[in-house]
Amino acid sequence: MVNRQPIIAVIGAGIAGLEAASQLAALGYKPVLIEKAPVVGGHVAEWNRLFPDMTPAEDVLQPLLAGTAKVRTLLNTEISAINRLKDEYNLILSDGSSLLCQAVLFATGFHLFDASKKEEYGYGIYDRVITNRDLEQWFNSRQDARIDKPRAVGFVHCVGSRDLKAGNPQCSKVCCITAIKQAIEMKEEFPDAEIYCFYMDLRLFGKKYEDFYIRAQRDYGIHFIRGRISEVGEAIDNRVVVKAEDTLSGKPVKVTLDLLVLMAGIVCNPDAQQYAREIGVAVDEDGFLKSRNNLAAITDSSRPGVFFAGACTGAKTVPETLAEARSAALAIHNYFNSRG
Amino acid sequence: MRERFASGFDPFVIPFVIGMAFVLGYCLIAMIRVICQLPKADRKRFLLSLITPKYIWMNLRDIFLNCLIHVKLWKRNKVLGYMHSSIAFGWFMLIVLGHLEVMLFVPERIHLFYYPIFFNYFVAETEQTLQGALLMFLMDFFLLMVLSGILIAIIKRFASRIVGMRRTTRLSALDRVGLYSLWAIFPLRLLAESFTAHISGGSFMTIPANWLFRQFLGNDLNALPTWWAYSIALCIFMCVLPFTRYMHIPAEMLLIPMRNAGIKIRHPRKGFALLEVYSCPGCGVCIDACPMSVRKTNCKDATVYLNRQLRRGNERRIAEISDKCLLCGKCSAVCQVGVQGPELRVAQRERRKFALTPSYTGMDVQPLTAAVAGKGGVLYFAGCMTQLTPSIRRATASLLDKAGVRWHLMDPDGGLCCGRPLMMAGRSEQARELIAKNLEIIRASGCDTLLLSCPICYKVFKEEYPLEGVRVVHHSVFFQELIAAGKLSVTHEDGLRLVWHDPCELGRGCGIYEQPRQALATAGEIVEAGMHHAESICCGGSLGSLTLSYEQRQPMTQNALDNLTVADPDQIVTGCPLCLATFVRMADRPVRDLAEVLDEHC
Repeated sequence: MVNRQPIIAVIGAGIAGLEAASQLAALGYKPVLIEKAPVVGGHVAEWNRLFPDMTPAEDVLQPLLAGTAKVRTLLNTEISAINRLKDEYNLILSDGSSLLCQAVLFATGFHLFDASKKEEYGYGIYDRVITNRDLEQWFNSRQDARIDKPRAVGFVHCVGSRDLKAGNPQCSKVCCITAIKQAIEMKEEFPDAEIYCFYMDLRLFGKKYEDFYIRAQRDYGIHFIRGRISEVGEAIDNRVVVKAEDTLSGKPVKVTLDLLVLMAGIVCNPDAQQYAREIGVAVDEDGFLKSRNNLAAITDSSRPGVFFAGACTGAKTVPETLAEARSAALAIHNYFNSRG
Repeated sequence: MRERFASGFDPFVIPFVIGMAFVLGYCLIAMIRVICQLPKADRKRFLLSLITPKYIWMNLRDIFLNCLIHVKLWKRNKVLGYMHSSIAFGWFMLIVLGHLEVMLFVPERIHLFYYPIFFNYFVAETEQTLQGALLMFLMDFFLLMVLSGILIAIIKRFASRIVGMRRTTRLSALDRVGLYSLWAIFPLRLLAESFTAHISGGSFMTIPANWLFRQFLGNDLNALPTWWAYSIALCIFMCVLPFTRYMHIPAEMLLIPMRNAGIKIRHPRKGFALLEVYSCPGCGVCIDACPMSVRKTNCKDATVYLNRQLRRGNERRIAEISDKCLLCGKCSAVCQVGVQGPELRVAQRERRKFALTPSYTGMDVQPLTAAVAGKGGVLYFAGCMTQLTPSIRRATASLLDKAGVRWHLMDPDGGLCCGRPLMMAGRSEQARELIAKNLEIIRASGCDTLLLSCPICYKVFKEEYPLEGVRVVHHSVFFQELIAAGKLSVTHEDGLRLVWHDPCELGRGCGIYEQPRQALATAGEIVEAGMHHAESICCGGSLGSLTLSYEQRQPMTQNALDNLTVADPDQIVTGCPLCLATFVRMADRPVRDLAEVLDEHC
């Protein structure tokens, strides 16, 4: 081996990056975590509790932080440019330094869809319209003037997911179950409130998800209405008036709510697309990074030495992301072994 | 000047006479047919206009300017303008001067209508008269003019980009016959006149050519065959004319007086619609203009091809082209003849039979009794698109309050549709039912101004609602007036570059271009798009198209955005909620409604 301890740049210190970095460090490599934000943990760090067991997000993060305690972590650091050399990659960082590495792992994750793009739902226009992230932050901080003892709460599924006109035809996978989780939490918080979920399909594929859905109906009395919301208006008292069609009964529905939560979908991190272009890594039609093989090599890119982990290739749940991060670490290990 | 033949006849004139008789007979019958197909009231109106001095003058002026000089085309493209006017005006002058020659020199032959055309064959110049020399000069001059036009036409056919057209029409087989015979006519005439110039006299072109040909060709042998060829070329051209795009020449001469008389399309295939179809010169200017042409496959859906399919009666293609169109009206705006592409298409849509015809007569309406009665009362109809873009409604309301206007929202809870989408889909009867319902609400409110923030609604309220005594106004105009009257004070933000997108329905549809720009100029600096005003490009989101999918519209939207951002503005501003919603999805910079921009600076 020419280089005894190859350096691996791990872009993004969300759960995928943290898990992969800790595994790589354990395998004897030198991972370097590069994080744009001032803290590690990514989206999970912003979340309060996680489906389906209501696990505090903190509990997922703690072991990851412990595993990466010794890993070199660059916070508040962006990547200005990436150059592809013969067998190596050179990263120019925002602090002016450069990092020469033998492999790059994209753990760039996702961006939440900007809900204000769906103007008809009134996010950013009406006071009582918030997103799933806003609600999760309220669970953490309990500080949001928009949430004031609501007596009627609505959840809108698929905001910016499965929506061709929003530019995202793909399913964001985790919002169905997140909406049910948040609906249950709101019902626990405000037992007198009526909770409505407006969905087009419920995709409850994961372990315990279906039980969760049944409990939401049976134990919490949450109303599930199949139909997309056509428009949202504002009543004189600042409450929001929601019009939808209940496609099961074939009737129009109109409800006035104190709070409307938009389940903003998952879109690819635009930074990841930029880096991918710079080193000639393929981007898929849906905007996410393109794996070499969607079945057998999801963590491999089209370039040797460039690997993927987590939501940079598509919407993923927490366990999927963690499993993929480990898998990516192993793929990198095999890559260096095969190069001898 | 004396005649060479006592009979004043030669068999070579026969093809010309046949062609001429055919084309005149055909056009006469077609004209009578079109006039008979008009509804009775329209027919009366048209015939009356023909004997009204004001219209007579208007018709003569328009025919001269449009059919002969092609003024509109000159304004658009000088090379094409010269090409058309040189051929049309030059040819016209050749015919007029030919008649003049006959009248001056052999007045007894004027009843032979081939005589002026073949004058040079039948006469011999015995002495040089000043009169003769002048006319001969003029004849050569106009022939040269036509030939120069033909030369450009030939160049255009093989390299349309040289004359500034990106795409031109694909010709049908008969069009080609017409085109090649038209190209042949004038060179043949030059040859024929040159071969006889030592007998009949000539001028600066024909006499030198005669001298040149004498050196190696032998003029007398070639003269008669060339006159035959000239006559046959004329015959072919005139015989195919009714079945080619050249039918636009006679058709336009009827179209102009009918349009001046205010005749509109009442039937999808008869009367005025038929005349418009035949007036299409097939030039293909509409292909480059059409927003759908960004996709190469949609080039076949331009108005020129609709007209062709209407002439061929290809129902499948007629329905396809008619349903696909965005009805943005740009083809009409650039059309030299003024063929109303969108109106023709909507008329075709009206032919369709629907399995379901919902009735709106039973709908409940809640009249806003005297909500804003009296002078200065403004009723604001936001419309369905504005319901989907709530920030426009909010900004409009805020501006109205700031200006101290007494106003009321007509559709706080989502009102009835204005009827325009139904009209565009060709279902005007259903639209009428909605119009009646809305009228009830508007009348009951007692307002004297109806304010619209959606140009789609604005156009239908303005054109189809009998709202005498109520002013129908688009918010861009209303706010401009409020600013001008000092009721709204807008603070100017230096360095804020704004581009105004002219929505199809507001600009080409209602002719409102300047007021929004004036209003916007109070808030920032206006930059113009690549194409603007009447040439503005449809956003691609239009309700007009019944069949274009979202993916097919995307390249059109991108093209419109590229056009809007040539001057790199900070914001794109428009006055149509549908344009806004369409642009927002793909724009790389903020897209806002005029009301939002003004409200922010107020």
